Amino acid sequence: MLLAGGQGSRLHALTSHVAKPAVPFGGKYRIIDFPLSNCVNSGIDAVGVLTQYRPLELNSYIGNGQPWDLDLSDGGVHILPPYMREGEKGTWYKGTANAIYQNMGFIELYDPDYVLILSGDHIYKMDYAKMLRRHKETGADCTISVLEVTMEEATRFGIMNVDEDDVIYEFEEKPKHPKSNLASMGIYIFTWSKLRAYLMADEADEKSSNDFGKNIIPAMLAKGEKLVAYRFSGYWKDVGTIDSLWDANMDMLSGGGGGVDLYDQEWPIYARTPTRPPHVTGPNAKVDHSLVTGGCEVDGTVENSVLFHSVTVEEGAVVRYSILMPGTVVKAGAVVEYAIVAENAVIGAQAHVGTAPTGEEDWGIAVVAQNIKVGDDAVVPAKAMITRNVKGGAAK
Amino acid sequence: MMNKLHSIIFAYRYNPDLRELIQNRNTCSIPYGGRYRIIDFMLSNMVNAGVVDVGLIVHANYQSLLDHVGSGKDWDLSRKHGGLRILPPFGYTNKTGEGVYRGRMDALAGVRSYLENIRQDYVVLAGGDLVVNLPLREMLEAHIQSGADITAACTRKPQGEPKNCDYFTLAGGRVTDVAVRPPMPQGVESLEVYILSKDLLLSLVDHCAAHSIHSFSTGVLQAMSGRLEVRPFFYEGYVARPRSTAGYFARSMELLDAGTRAQLFLPERPVKTKDQSNPSTYYGPDSKSVHSLVADGCIIEGEVENSILFRGVRVKKGAKVSNCILMQGTTIQEGAVLKYAITDKNVQINPGRMLMGHHTYPLTIAKNEIV
Repeated sequence: MLLAGGQGSRLHALTSHVAKPAVPFGGKYRIIDFPLSNCVNSGIDAVGVLTQYRPLELNSYIGNGQPWDLDLSDGGVHILPPYMREGEKGTWYKGTANAIYQNMGFIELYDPDYVLILSGDHIYKMDYAKMLRRHKETGADCTISVLEVTMEEATRFGIMNVDEDDVIYEFEEKPKHPKSNLASMGIYIFTWSKLRAYLMADEADEKSSNDFGKNIIPAMLAKGEKLVAYRFSGYWKDVGTIDSLWDANMDMLSGGGGGVDLYDQEWPIYARTPTRPPHVTGPNAKVDHSLVTGGCEVDGTVENSVLFHSVTVEEGAVVRYSILMPGTVVKAGAVVEYAIVAENAVIGAQAHVGTAPTGEEDWGIAVVAQNIKVGDDAVVPAKAMITRNVKGGAAK
Repeated sequence: MMNKLHSIIFAYRYNPDLRELIQNRNTCSIPYGGRYRIIDFMLSNMVNAGVVDVGLIVHANYQSLLDHVGSGKDWDLSRKHGGLRILPPFGYTNKTGEGVYRGRMDALAGVRSYLENIRQDYVVLAGGDLVVNLPLREMLEAHIQSGADITAACTRKPQGEPKNCDYFTLAGGRVTDVAVRPPMPQGVESLEVYILSKDLLLSLVDHCAAHSIHSFSTGVLQAMSGRLEVRPFFYEGYVARPRSTAGYFARSMELLDAGTRAQLFLPERPVKTKDQSNPSTYYGPDSKSVHSLVADGCIIEGEVENSILFRGVRVKKGAKVSNCILMQGTTIQEGAVLKYAITDKNVQINPGRMLMGHHTYPLTIAKNEIV
């Protein structure tokens, strides 16, 4: 069960049209491709995707699940929006646990022994089959995937305090003084019969905020259920903010070395990609340490950047440390640096978007929302969030 | 959706002058344009014109072709009714008991029962070895409007070698004569793409079978030019029919020109191909890529110039590639230098090797070879 209802409000302009899991990532993907591909590569062939915020693009992206080989007659991928039930009130998903509660009928169609709960906003590769094996071996009621973080970072995560067998005895949400550095990755395997009982009880509790981290896990711990931490090592990144999204994209720039190895044929990440011819480098092109995708036309300079499909970088334009989403056009002589430019935005000739880090507090990644036109010679400062067209000349 | 047109694609051509490129495949499944196979262009033409039923006539060496087209899913041709049908030479033997079809009418006679079951009123006959983005929807409209018996696609801009082409003589808006494989071009060049009604096609197939006529060009167009009204449909964009390695190389390289690409890759009529889930192409520090066409999934750390790179090519540090076509999975190791070369799939060029051909004779390295 993949929780993909997140609004992603901290991604601001990038999620004004799409849910967070549908935000483009890594040149060819959307965030949701990572957990979805992990499922398929782990041998999971029945996946429910729970959506509610701006689901249109996400729904059409997932479609019948064919790019992930999830177009199956038995199982496959299913989009699960909130719905009305006769006789009673229907509601939006009130929390992560409520979202699963509302879809218990779907889960029971498959009469599963175990249920895997995932979220749609992390970039990582993980074999859930290994985690399930551990869940069975330990006889746990719930297994939670954890990542070792630094003690400073631990204050920003849900932290699991465990005994010598990695059995969890305490869960603390964003502790001021963490006792351990095992951060929850928001990946849970439950024995379905147990989870079912706790979901029913949680729903009956009017004071509950119906959330896995806040309610279900503490309730299970209080009742003495066996919760086990599953240690994951490897690349894992939450991409919930502009900075972390930019960072994670930069991590992909290594030709297989760091970040997630996108070229690993043993664990491919699948995506629904449009048909585009190969990209073109023109006579003046200079491309360095960057990802470039089909349909791009590059005749300028591109360094340390991620170009999604059908991006145009005209002669004399310079793109540095930036993420250009599908269909973006950077006109002649423009400079785009330390910026995220969303789908089909146009950066006018000689315009300047973003600045290199200044060391000052108010520095940040500049963001240009989709379909926006930044006029010729315009200047977009660092950390700007452009959601309206910017006139030419030296506008703000 | 236009559902009046049925498509028959002849996908068995085998041109010996393509040497290494046809060692394991026929002409139709040769890789082309950085991420396609030649057959993709005609298949996409059909789909882009709303054609839902496609019969693909194959003969020999078609394993690679079948691998590529599969169920037709990538062209939306995997359908409950109709869709893509592969038509192998079931029980076919010509007079000598072996060999490829002697002509299109011979091939059509071999699939006579399939033709009877065609659900559409019109049929387009086309070669699977033609690289073109042909507006077949317009061609069908022109065919219906003119009331011609046969509409034949042709170009005023001769692009093929005469010994491999047919030429039409036109008079009064009609094709009055056909020169088949003449030594010199004469008239407009035929693309050998024809639209005719299903009924006419069936009667022609029966007539030709009864008279041992194998060729559409000589047996139908030439022999019946007085009786049949054949009208031209002009198309003046990019057309390539690779028949030799040098020809393949030259026509491929034209795609480095933006104007040529604009004729072949149209947003409204996209060329579809088998999806392979490749990541984006990664350019390493100090890499160079100039005036080149590069597909997804490559890792480029060396230098690339005036070249076409298919999916998943590796160009390692210090390697220099210019005026080359590197097919899928080629690896150019450190410091190797390649000029005017074609590397077939999964070729590996070891460190420091220097290979040079010429544009009139591009050096071709066969599939899976290690140099």
